[in-house]
Amino acid sequence: MDKLSGSFVSLISKQGITAVAIAVVLCIIIALFNKKKGRKMSTKTVVAIGVGAALYAALSAISIPVGPNTSFRIAIALLPIFGAFFGPAAGFLIGFIGHALNDAFMYGNIWWSWVFLSAMMGLFGGFVCFDRKFDPLNGICTKVHIGLMYLWSLIGMFVGSVIAYLGDVYLYGEPSEKLFVQITAANLSNLVVIAVIGIPAVILIAKSKARNQGLKKDF
Amino acid sequence: MSKSGSLYIERDSLFHGLDGSIKLLMLIAWTGFVFAFMDARVFLGMILIGLGILKLSKLPAKAIWPLFVFIFVFTLFNSVFLLLITPEYGSKLTGSYTDLISLGVYSITLETVFYCFTLSLKYIAIMPITILFLFTTHPSNFASSLNRVGVPYRIAYAVSIALRYIPDVKTEVENIINAQEARGVAFRKGDAGLGTRLKNYATVMVPLLLSSFNRIEVVSNAMDLRGFGKNKSRTWYQRKKYTGLDMSFAALSFAVLAAGIVIKLTIGAVYWYPF
Repeated sequence: MDKLSGSFVSLISKQGITAVAIAVVLCIIIALFNKKKGRKMSTKTVVAIGVGAALYAALSAISIPVGPNTSFRIAIALLPIFGAFFGPAAGFLIGFIGHALNDAFMYGNIWWSWVFLSAMMGLFGGFVCFDRKFDPLNGICTKVHIGLMYLWSLIGMFVGSVIAYLGDVYLYGEPSEKLFVQITAANLSNLVVIAVIGIPAVILIAKSKARNQGLKKDF
Repeated sequence: MSKSGSLYIERDSLFHGLDGSIKLLMLIAWTGFVFAFMDARVFLGMILIGLGILKLSKLPAKAIWPLFVFIFVFTLFNSVFLLLITPEYGSKLTGSYTDLISLGVYSITLETVFYCFTLSLKYIAIMPITILFLFTTHPSNFASSLNRVGVPYRIAYAVSIALRYIPDVKTEVENIINAQEARGVAFRKGDAGLGTRLKNYATVMVPLLLSSFNRIEVVSNAMDLRGFGKNKSRTWYQRKKYTGLDMSFAALSFAVLAAGIVIKLTIGAVYWYPF
């Protein structure tokens, strides 16, 4: 526990900030690169972002409390799901818009640092789409893909946590030990939600879609 | 929240007349300025100015009050949590230790309590301007003002789709939960254990996703048919030309934001402790 907390504290140093800045820039470059490949954002992606963000806001009302300041938030499961179906850019924006709108309408106050935690989980959840073969809407979702989904979700949570931590320490001025406890609790509950609802939902939908077997491309 | 999924309240005031993008700019500048401090005096001043602005905007107190009650409760919980985990944080910053409650190793210092107070004021200080933006900007003005401050129009449009569909999707979620409950799936506390209840939400998620994908398909086809996304930029029905008042508020916002950044970079957010 102490070692982990130390690794968080070391991020406040100049080197730590530079490393995080490089990571963020890399993420943005990857996201832009991905966007360029599909040229511009398609209408379908735009609508998917809108409906996804609406779903996030609607589902945010549902949460199962498990302890003080911690609850299973069902809405979190949407991020890897929409990321997997519509790509990293959609995942990022759904997390960002959904979280910001929900905060604004429910509380009249937006916690910007935590908005980025959601956004990062969506962004990294979408990185499974880098494998062009992955296509859950046509029934293609192998065991490797499932493993990748878990891996990317974990990385997304880590990067998001770092941003939330830095944002809360620098912008809001919260003490780091308290944040460490909060972020650990939030990540554990988010991980449970993703593992129980998020990724199984993708697998279920992929299974329900028929895979084409008899069709071949005629050259 | 009204049926259209927005908090907009129609009034005739100075701030209702301002362009949405200017209010968004004010929101960014105000938030940036608050982030630059850790000083209770500044926050108190800003809260007073913010309340004055809300008074000028003629919004009914009944609509705003619940949000303030919520933030009070939130900051209270936050402070208790902070005191529990880091009872001497404030003292570390000031260097002076004034014990308030002492239980052997664990002691809460006065400095930390004052720190909690300052932090709570900080959260409250961000509030008035967010409320102003949400309550005085018409939802159809929302997307165009985002676009005007530089957000690509496709993303701005996605925000307006989200606003449009929040109530619809909410009804859908309720319907699916009711249907599953009628089949005997447990969602309430006491009906089943924590793990089972969580798992049961997966039975809501899959139908919800399938119907949402359907909705996405229908809406995006309709938009494609109307030529959405064909051009590099788009015009907005609600957009008006900036007036002199708009420009002066924009200039003020830029000045405040610049001041905030300069203070943050030179002095930093120094914790102000009076005793």
